[in-house]
Amino acid sequence: MALANADIRLSRFNPLPRILAFDDFDDGLHGWCELVGNHNGDLNELQPVFRDMRPAQLSTCTFFDMGTHGAVDGTYSMKLATRPRKFHQAVAIKRLTSAADGLVQFEAWFTYKAEQTFGGDDPGARAWDGNYHPSEAHFGSFTLWNDICEGTEPRDRYHAALRYENTNEDGEFTQRWLYKTGLHPTTRMLRGGFDSNQNDVHVAKPDMWAPIPGGDQQLCFNEVPTKVNWHYLRWLFDLSTRRNTELQVNDLTMDLREIPVLRFDEGYWGISRLLNLCMDVRTTSNVRNFLYLDSVVISADW
Amino acid sequence: MRHSFTAVIEKNATFQEDFETEPYECAWASEARWFINVMELEGDGAKLSARVQVSPDGIFWCDEGSRFEPMSEPELYSLAVRDFGGWLRLDCELDGTDANVRLMIYLVLKE
Repeated sequence: MALANADIRLSRFNPLPRILAFDDFDDGLHGWCELVGNHNGDLNELQPVFRDMRPAQLSTCTFFDMGTHGAVDGTYSMKLATRPRKFHQAVAIKRLTSAADGLVQFEAWFTYKAEQTFGGDDPGARAWDGNYHPSEAHFGSFTLWNDICEGTEPRDRYHAALRYENTNEDGEFTQRWLYKTGLHPTTRMLRGGFDSNQNDVHVAKPDMWAPIPGGDQQLCFNEVPTKVNWHYLRWLFDLSTRRNTELQVNDLTMDLREIPVLRFDEGYWGISRLLNLCMDVRTTSNVRNFLYLDSVVISADW
Repeated sequence: MRHSFTAVIEKNATFQEDFETEPYECAWASEARWFINVMELEGDGAKLSARVQVSPDGIFWCDEGSRFEPMSEPELYSLAVRDFGGWLRLDCELDGTDANVRLMIYLVLKE
């Protein structure tokens, strides 16, 4: 903490004793890259859900009406952008390994938007009233998640995934935090014929998400698609218990220790001590959705 | 050291009609090079054309002035661009009868 308080750029974070990464996107993407599924060199082998997860971008947050918005500090943030196609998902990943079991914390300053559209309001949509803007209903969800594998034995691998669902699959406002109740369908499972809708990298079916108790939260969309307000997020998980510990988003802190995290029954080869951190954005409309990260700190107690 | 980044803008994608690539932010870069790897191009008289487009906001687009020479066979093609502002995309035309193209498109940016 002394280190964090002494550095003006770190003082807006609350890192654990060892900082594994401080990713300020004013100077590059810091190893956050597009997730791609497994293949044998032939990209036709990519399973549909893994085919098109879009490259991360260094964004200036520039909009048609007011020019460049910039970030919390400096000009640039990391932007994940979907295609303008319902249920498309853009995913960025940072790949590490773990040197010990223990706590890992992911912190970020983030914001989210749906792309500006012009005219042609959706039939039946709640109209613009000077405060509420229908663009807010064009935003689907964003998810933070990990991919952990301790070794090669059965049940060594698991994913924890926490989703902010702004609108559900039908485009209705829900504005709540979710955890997943189904396994991430891996390439091996999908090649084996695992029944999946293949439109959500996390789960096979849309009903495999459940609300986090106390997880209702309205974020600061700020009325129009061209104003961005940055939010603080802190996610703590524990490699020794294979569970989430807690999630803080601004003034809301959710205790996640009782939230189940599913493990794979089979063993996985070649990913021992895997510690992947991922972020994604998924649209529930035919409008591009954007997730912006000003900066990220990943820290550990080991 | 100058920063650089390679973005896969289209990955093993197939098209049977004209298309534009997704908007990509590039304000941090001073130079760019597009690569189009045409892996399959089928159809009578099939030909792919691509024009570079720029935008002030990622929404409204105009031609930058550069274009690929028409591509009529599977091959790797490339085009360098400078002074492009904050966004880049390609406006692609696919001509020919029952034309079908499978390709990779890369955007290589350098500070």
